[in-house]
Amino acid sequence: MEINEQLIEQIAKIVLEQINGKPEPAAASTCTCGGQPGKCNGSCAGKKSPAVKTSYEGYAPAKKGTDPKEVVVGVGPAFQKEIRNTINGLNLDDVIGNIKAGIEEEGMVPRVVKVLKTSDVCFMGLEAAKISGSGIGIGLQSKGTAVIHQKDLYPLSNLELFPQAPLMTLETYRAIGKNAAKYVKGEKVSPIEGQNDPMVRAKYQVKAALMHIKETEQVDVSRPIIEWTEA
Amino acid sequence: MKLIAGVDIGNSTTEVCIGEIGGDGKMRFLSSSSVMTTGMKGTVANTAGVIHALDAAMGKINRPVSEISLIRINEAAPVIGDTAMETITETIITESSMIGHNPSTPAGAGQAAGTIIYIGHLPEGKPGIPYIVTASSLSAYDEVADVINRYAKKLDIAGLILQADEAVLVENRLEHKIPIVDEVKSINSIPEWKMAAIEVALPGQSVRMLSNPYGIATLLKLDADETKAATPIAKSLIGKRSAVVIRTPHGNVKENVLPAGELYVKSDQVYPVNIDSGADRIMEVLGQAGEVIDISGQPDTNIGNMLINIKNGMGNLMGEESGEIRITDILAVDTLAPVQISGSLAGESCMEKAVGVAAMVKTKHLPMEKIADELKRRLHIYVKVAGVEAVMAALGALTTPGTRLPLAMLDLGGGSTDAAVIDSDGRVKTTHKAGAGELVSMIIQTELGLSSRHTAEQIKKYPLAKVESLFHMRLENGAMHFFENAIEPKYFGNVVLLHPEEMVIIDEDIPLEKIAAVRKDAKRKVFVRNALRALTEIAPGHNLRNIPNVVLVGGSAEDFEVPEMLMEELANYKIVCGRGNIRASEGPRNAVATGLVLSYTGGQQ
Repeated sequence: MEINEQLIEQIAKIVLEQINGKPEPAAASTCTCGGQPGKCNGSCAGKKSPAVKTSYEGYAPAKKGTDPKEVVVGVGPAFQKEIRNTINGLNLDDVIGNIKAGIEEEGMVPRVVKVLKTSDVCFMGLEAAKISGSGIGIGLQSKGTAVIHQKDLYPLSNLELFPQAPLMTLETYRAIGKNAAKYVKGEKVSPIEGQNDPMVRAKYQVKAALMHIKETEQVDVSRPIIEWTEA
Repeated sequence: MKLIAGVDIGNSTTEVCIGEIGGDGKMRFLSSSSVMTTGMKGTVANTAGVIHALDAAMGKINRPVSEISLIRINEAAPVIGDTAMETITETIITESSMIGHNPSTPAGAGQAAGTIIYIGHLPEGKPGIPYIVTASSLSAYDEVADVINRYAKKLDIAGLILQADEAVLVENRLEHKIPIVDEVKSINSIPEWKMAAIEVALPGQSVRMLSNPYGIATLLKLDADETKAATPIAKSLIGKRSAVVIRTPHGNVKENVLPAGELYVKSDQVYPVNIDSGADRIMEVLGQAGEVIDISGQPDTNIGNMLINIKNGMGNLMGEESGEIRITDILAVDTLAPVQISGSLAGESCMEKAVGVAAMVKTKHLPMEKIADELKRRLHIYVKVAGVEAVMAALGALTTPGTRLPLAMLDLGGGSTDAAVIDSDGRVKTTHKAGAGELVSMIIQTELGLSSRHTAEQIKKYPLAKVESLFHMRLENGAMHFFENAIEPKYFGNVVLLHPEEMVIIDEDIPLEKIAAVRKDAKRKVFVRNALRALTEIAPGHNLRNIPNVVLVGGSAEDFEVPEMLMEELANYKIVCGRGNIRASEGPRNAVATGLVLSYTGGQQ
């Protein structure tokens, strides 16, 4: 088969049309740059310009709390900005609202910070715990994955991890807030009832990867962690 | 040079002791071992365990089993114990007249009285009448707070009852603080437009007004007769963190006594005793009856069914008709079981009275000869069934340093407590009493409302601690223990059992103090009572003071607190009592096996 310029042009045209319809999957499958300048291998060039990074200039850097009743929730870089719903469509305002309500019902005090230096849920949780007055923190990715952390633990060892974001409900988030508060009080936590679905991974893998990339695009190591009062 | 093996087949372990008789006729102990019993005690299935135990013991001294010239096995006591538990009271709330529970986070301490009104009906409210509002979980906390704040300007809102666990959330948003009770599951069963009183206790306290009949009378304006009728309600609210009492025409709390039935103790005549009269009375009647032939219960009552179940169970096990099985001893214990109250709105439970019974069944002789024949066939060693178990145990106990005749031995087992006394002439008296470790486990399980018997068994065996952080825990005795490295997060905040290998988490949310109290109480009820019962029966002249030494042997003698409890109790009778140390090396184990070896030399001389 003869390959001429005409044919290549034709193929490129079709591909471009497809990409413009669904720009993200193509970017994910071919380029790992995540929108970070200098890391792009070039394969996504021409398809989509690197994502616009939200500037958090003027936001107050998060300080270490002194209230022993405090539970800090560390949310991901794209939280309530680039991403407004979790992977299964729960509104992030409701999600954070329920976590805060759970903490409050147990008599503890919630505070929300945005962790910009990382998009990894465990590190987010640990960062939150480290600046929490009680030493207990919650990490919450914009796609819905959550973790309860304690300041003295290793990043990947944690108090409780809720890895299956697609199966989470608002009740689960309320219970996560309550349990985090109970850790502060040194009380026995009640096991959180959750669903388990072995097919979830397969079903949501692509969406999870895309949402994670979207979150990672907003990582800004120069402004590691800020107070987040918009929650 | 002759090797003698003593083999003790017990309910849970099979123990072996190997002794050597030298040329001078003197006995030397060479080795011992302990393995799990295979099969039900007294059946041919035990042989596998026996052979395994012999292998283990001979392996320790690097000699083949075939060098053994004689195996002596015990004539196991033909008694088997079983336990049963039955509640004898039940509490019923009628007409949804009361809510008294312990929500983890109620809000706004204090009490109030008013008319019940559903939150949706607030527009119909009239100014000047105090109201207690109820809200189902369909209304979110911010809505509820909003509505209350709005109507509080016009109406007199005195209290709030919520279905969801949101009391603190609502309270934080109220302009005017009122007592709030939450986690009331069946909120829709609360009758509207009725007078009600509500109370939330201060942190760390329990309700004071509503657990007092005059307090209820004050809040609900009751007359003397009505106050008298409200007394059961007040009683059932003692110790609760929050409470609601609703005034309904016939609403009340009733405690029904279930027809528990009578127990018939048959000896020279039949002594009847009612179960309701309590464990002390039952044991008193049993004591009066003397030598018991059989114990049965009134047909179609709780106790009757309990004893029939025990007999049937035993019959199946032994392959005998249940009619032939006779219960020769029981140990009754008063206990309390948490039972969900019928008619409750918030899933309250009440500690109902219950009676736990351990029964001991005498059966025909266990087929030890069959085991002996089977062993003979498989090992080609001469096997002899020698000696009654309790006598052998007493002989073995005598090898504990510091003992002398007359000596009493208490074998604290799983199903029964056995005792034997050897007087200075070498005469032996024995007795078997129902009730031991298994009854303790059952009481622990019932009183704590545990779902599994296994947890109860573990609570019985190991001391408790509360993990307060990832780096330290508070031990049962109040001492603090720090960990070298951070422990696994799953332990955080939990009450744990200090198992030597790994800490065991107790899943139920029960305070450490309560678990410890129940555990100690259960052990005292069973072991101390049975020890006194058994020792009095065999003591010369039935006087405990005639026994100078008591040696504790058997599995439960290894318990971390039972020997101390018995020691304290028996010290009152000037008895030296302690955990045995068989052959100065075995602890309280291996007494029977050692006794079997010893009795061989004794028999020869």
